[in-house]
Amino acid sequence: MNRTRILLSAAALLFASGAMPVLADDIVLGGSAPMSGAQAEFGQSQIDGAQLYFDQLNEKGGIKGNKVVFRPLDDRADPRQGTLVAQQFCDDSAVIGVIGHMNSGVTMPALDIYSECGMPQVVPATNPELMRMGFKTVVRPVANDFVQGALPAKYVTEKLGLKNAVLVHDKTVFGQGIAGVFKDNFEAGGGKVSGSYGTNPEDVDFSALIASIKLENPDVVYMGAGMPQLALFLKQMREQGLKAQFIGPDIGFTVDFITQVGAASAEGALMTFQLPPYDSSPELKDFSDRHQARFGRAPGPYASLGFANAQVMAAAVEKAESLDRAGVLAQLHGVTVETLLGPVAFDENGENTTAPMYLYVVKDGKFELIKQ
Amino acid sequence: MLDYFLQQLIFALAIGAIYGLIALGYTMVYGVMRLINFAHGEFFMLGPYVYTFIFSGLIGLGGLAPVLDSVIAIVASFVIVGLLGVAIERFAYRPLRAYGRLAPMLSALGMSIVLQSAVRVTVGPQPVHFPAIVPSTPIDALGGMVTTVQFGILVAAVLLMVGLTLFVNGTRLGIWIRAASESWTTSSLLGIRVNRAVSLVFFIGPGLGAMAGIMYASYYGIMQPTMGSVIGLKAFTAAILGGIGSIPGAMLGGFLLGAIETFGTAFLPILSFGYIGTEYRDVFAFAVLILVLLFKPAGLLGETVSEETTVAKKDY
Repeated sequence: MNRTRILLSAAALLFASGAMPVLADDIVLGGSAPMSGAQAEFGQSQIDGAQLYFDQLNEKGGIKGNKVVFRPLDDRADPRQGTLVAQQFCDDSAVIGVIGHMNSGVTMPALDIYSECGMPQVVPATNPELMRMGFKTVVRPVANDFVQGALPAKYVTEKLGLKNAVLVHDKTVFGQGIAGVFKDNFEAGGGKVSGSYGTNPEDVDFSALIASIKLENPDVVYMGAGMPQLALFLKQMREQGLKAQFIGPDIGFTVDFITQVGAASAEGALMTFQLPPYDSSPELKDFSDRHQARFGRAPGPYASLGFANAQVMAAAVEKAESLDRAGVLAQLHGVTVETLLGPVAFDENGENTTAPMYLYVVKDGKFELIKQ
Repeated sequence: MLDYFLQQLIFALAIGAIYGLIALGYTMVYGVMRLINFAHGEFFMLGPYVYTFIFSGLIGLGGLAPVLDSVIAIVASFVIVGLLGVAIERFAYRPLRAYGRLAPMLSALGMSIVLQSAVRVTVGPQPVHFPAIVPSTPIDALGGMVTTVQFGILVAAVLLMVGLTLFVNGTRLGIWIRAASESWTTSSLLGIRVNRAVSLVFFIGPGLGAMAGIMYASYYGIMQPTMGSVIGLKAFTAAILGGIGSIPGAMLGGFLLGAIETFGTAFLPILSFGYIGTEYRDVFAFAVLILVLLFKPAGLLGETVSEETTVAKKDY
């Protein structure tokens, strides 16, 4: 008697906890990025961008007459939460594709789980390793960190003629990795790296480190770290009167960077980013307007990437012979599509063959694109 | 090289002063209650948030002279965070006093999560820009360079520490605190209201923590809900290094930890010819801590506590 009751209530719980009802012919796609915590601004913007595309698609009648249901889950930029999310998507047989995760550190452990359940995955994370781990279920439309580290190294050695650099990184997979890529390219361009310094990801006081960097008298400082560390470092660097050219990666591409450093001190800082500004083409302007109309706010930093990733995923679903994971997966690598951010086609590793990278400079308290 | 050393010394003093102020809160609470108040880092975090709230409120109401606005906001954050500390002790720790040491400690951990999440939910998780209270202008001093903010931090922290020392050693209320930390039972037998001493400690400690938070935020220019976690742990380490329960010990521990960290970063790569990088700073700092504790388990200025007094204090 007792056992039946337990079983019954367990079954009831299962039903109750099942997510919103999905009609049999709806296409369910998952998405995951940090939607809370310090990186929420970046993560939420990706989710919003993807949502915008799927809304647009549904207005036109969906894919092959089926409505697309986009189901975003928060991974909090936490690898443990990320694997839980991955498992949740895998366990829900209605989900036939996932766009995620934003952070390389979260994506890496989740890859294994997605590949095990044959889940087609479009990855926005940028660590080069991700596509070299041999998983066949993933593609990446965005440029990886090899491109991101190489572009500013080429720019400062060739255009600015700066030859003496110091590297600072926060010892994370991302920070240390990208600083290493910058180093290789900077040296290949004839520059000399006179020092490489590690800090803790949570550090806020860099004064001692900056004083010792001053002894090296560098003309370039490349920092592979997150926010607010990038801002704090540059602020303290300028306070100590170290005038070197400062370069940072995509995480610093936010208005917060400039407010936290102070517009005067931030002036001239270089930052790489995977996406062009929202006023750089008529399509992007149109996207920006539609985003404003749909969500009541301007698109966040990664919104256009979220939109483009959704376009890639939708194109694979469109071509799929059967609307299940295997069907989408069969089409994923071969997909070619003209996205909001340009043409996308994948090489044998699942990397985009023509992924662009953009270099921005802080000018008068704003990020301004440097024309190549 | 001397210039370099002096420059690093200035950095060490500024961060050490902040560590010391927070460590005072840990050590005073431990002295009186034998409780490690894990929520203390959150009072540090609340300081700049309360300051910003009051300050922008004053500006919104029309405001007085900017200096006066700042002073009012600073005093108000001391009082508000202090009263919050008293309230937390009254409602989250005191009812658990009869249940041994573990229960209040867990309650403190819980409070820490509650306070941090509350700020995260109401204000938002992102780091927020905190404008410096005094404009940061570099001054040349002793061959090094010190900014007005660093100088202000140092002066303010030393004033607060001197004030606290005078208060504890020279006033009637200070006698309560010292008596309560010496022996709970005896002082209550002698007519000292021990609970008032506890409330007092829970007013001063969080208040000082809030002051440290404001200094820290105006030094680095940001505040965020998680800022109390790492620095709280560091300050706790400083308190242990100096001898937990000892007020001068906390100050000494703070300055020492600041110095070890700064000089670790500044000189490890030079002294090891580049083999040991700055990333070993914390390894170095905590190795020093372990060494100190091996030779002086009670910390540098801590009293060696005999078995007997420990028992007596535990069973107050």
